[in-house]
Amino acid sequence: MTTPAETTAVSIDSSRLRLTNPEGTTGSLLGLRCRDCGIYIFGAALFCQGCSSDNLESVELSRRGVLYSYTIVRAPPAGWPGPVPYVLGEVELPEGPHVLAEVIGSPESYLKIGLAVELSLQRVLAGASDRARIVYKWRLVGQPPETGPEEAR
Amino acid sequence: MTQFKPGRDVLVVGVGLHPFGRFRGKDLATLARESVVEALKDGGVRWQDIPVAYFGHVYYQGMSVGQTALGGLGLTGIPIINVENACSSGSTAFWQAYWGIASGVYDLALAFGAEKVPGGPVTVTAAESPERYIGGDHMMAGYALRMRRYMEETGAPAATLARISVKARQNARLNPYAHRKETYTVEEVLGSRLIADPLTLYQCCPTSEGSAAAILCARDALGRYGLDESRAIKVMAAALTSGNYNGRGSDHSAFSPYRTEPAAMAAYEMSGLGPEDIDLAQVHDAATIGELQQIEALQLTPKGEGWQAVAEGRTALTGDLPVNTDGGLLAMGHPFGATGIRMVHETVTQLRGEAGPRQVAKAQVGLAQCSGAGDVTTVHIFAR
Repeated sequence: MTTPAETTAVSIDSSRLRLTNPEGTTGSLLGLRCRDCGIYIFGAALFCQGCSSDNLESVELSRRGVLYSYTIVRAPPAGWPGPVPYVLGEVELPEGPHVLAEVIGSPESYLKIGLAVELSLQRVLAGASDRARIVYKWRLVGQPPETGPEEAR
Repeated sequence: MTQFKPGRDVLVVGVGLHPFGRFRGKDLATLARESVVEALKDGGVRWQDIPVAYFGHVYYQGMSVGQTALGGLGLTGIPIINVENACSSGSTAFWQAYWGIASGVYDLALAFGAEKVPGGPVTVTAAESPERYIGGDHMMAGYALRMRRYMEETGAPAATLARISVKARQNARLNPYAHRKETYTVEEVLGSRLIADPLTLYQCCPTSEGSAAAILCARDALGRYGLDESRAIKVMAAALTSGNYNGRGSDHSAFSPYRTEPAAMAAYEMSGLGPEDIDLAQVHDAATIGELQQIEALQLTPKGEGWQAVAEGRTALTGDLPVNTDGGLLAMGHPFGATGIRMVHETVTQLRGEAGPRQVAKAQVGLAQCSGAGDVTTVHIFAR
């Protein structure tokens, strides 16, 4: 039997990721723009991290960014609910903030600093209570087939 | 940045260490106490004279462990402050002891740090934090991201980064307190198990247990405690900063080593010294890339050129810029609460000329830089 809690998608962090459909397959990254100094902040803040102003407006951040760096994590941290190894990408958004998240769907050999990536959402079961959460991930833009030569199993 | 002006000279008069490694049968208070006893002996300081103590540690091992540790020396009723500032907890305790004396509140102070730590990758956030689902809370993955970017930007070859680990082990072999003394080659470093590409196991510091202690005294109060200056080392600067806006949202792991710069600049200004005056440095080499980027942030080499200093052997014991002379976090080991004071211990030992087989030739001015999550940085400068 499924309960409503299991079928309604829940964002991993509603200050960073807003879901735009009940299934949690679409959504956008959230942030703040400082009306005084103009910088952007990913996620929640009460004051601007640059100038301490409280004159902040909520904004949607770009769905696309550029791979600033990446690593393939082979010894995962405690509580990591996904496959091992996994690719962790540091992505620079056009607005400035860097957003760390898993890069999915690409064999290692396709990864390169500077490649364009786009937001991709994934349902993840994790934590002591096995709660499902929708987590933001990155995917190469115009990415190659899911199963490349290095990932064939 | 506001920096108080010290009103008086402060000297390190005693230092002590407990070996770094794994000590299953010893609790945190016992570990901590042993280095304090060593520091008291080293400085010829009487425990009853210590008027204040600061204790750095990170992992929870019961409440107010500093009191339990020092209670074992006899209860003297002094203020004892337990300090948690991630991997710079120990150096933060030292910073507090320094400013306690420099500001005139105390004439003498004890700073000590110790750690008991679980194995496995180090995480920063609480267990139910969203970061656990996102996968970004992984210290070594953070270093790996920086390493790949650094190699891309500077052209530094992987073999040069591996040399930092080789050097660390060579230095540690000359250090009886070190956690990891077996040496290896560049090929063995590069061939060890991948933790987070391009970081291999031998390029990551071990998590360790151990303790370190330092006793500080105002120069004008030495006589009152029956201390003399013959082996004392002057603290030239004590700077502590936390992160500021990093443009990188709420992901702490995307920190930049260049957060070190504000603390470095404050320390240089306070001491009246510059990077060109530094004879040796202990820096936060939790991973090989950490050592490179810290020496650059401290302006000991130009930005993007730290790897060339490594390739030329300049950072070895026999080079003109010896770095992490006791093995550093990579080989000495990394008990979080103790590490910052371990760096003080090594700097003082070198400046005294008491480092034995790992003594560097010119040791007049030494620097100790320690980083912690939250972009905490401490920079201390010492001189004979």
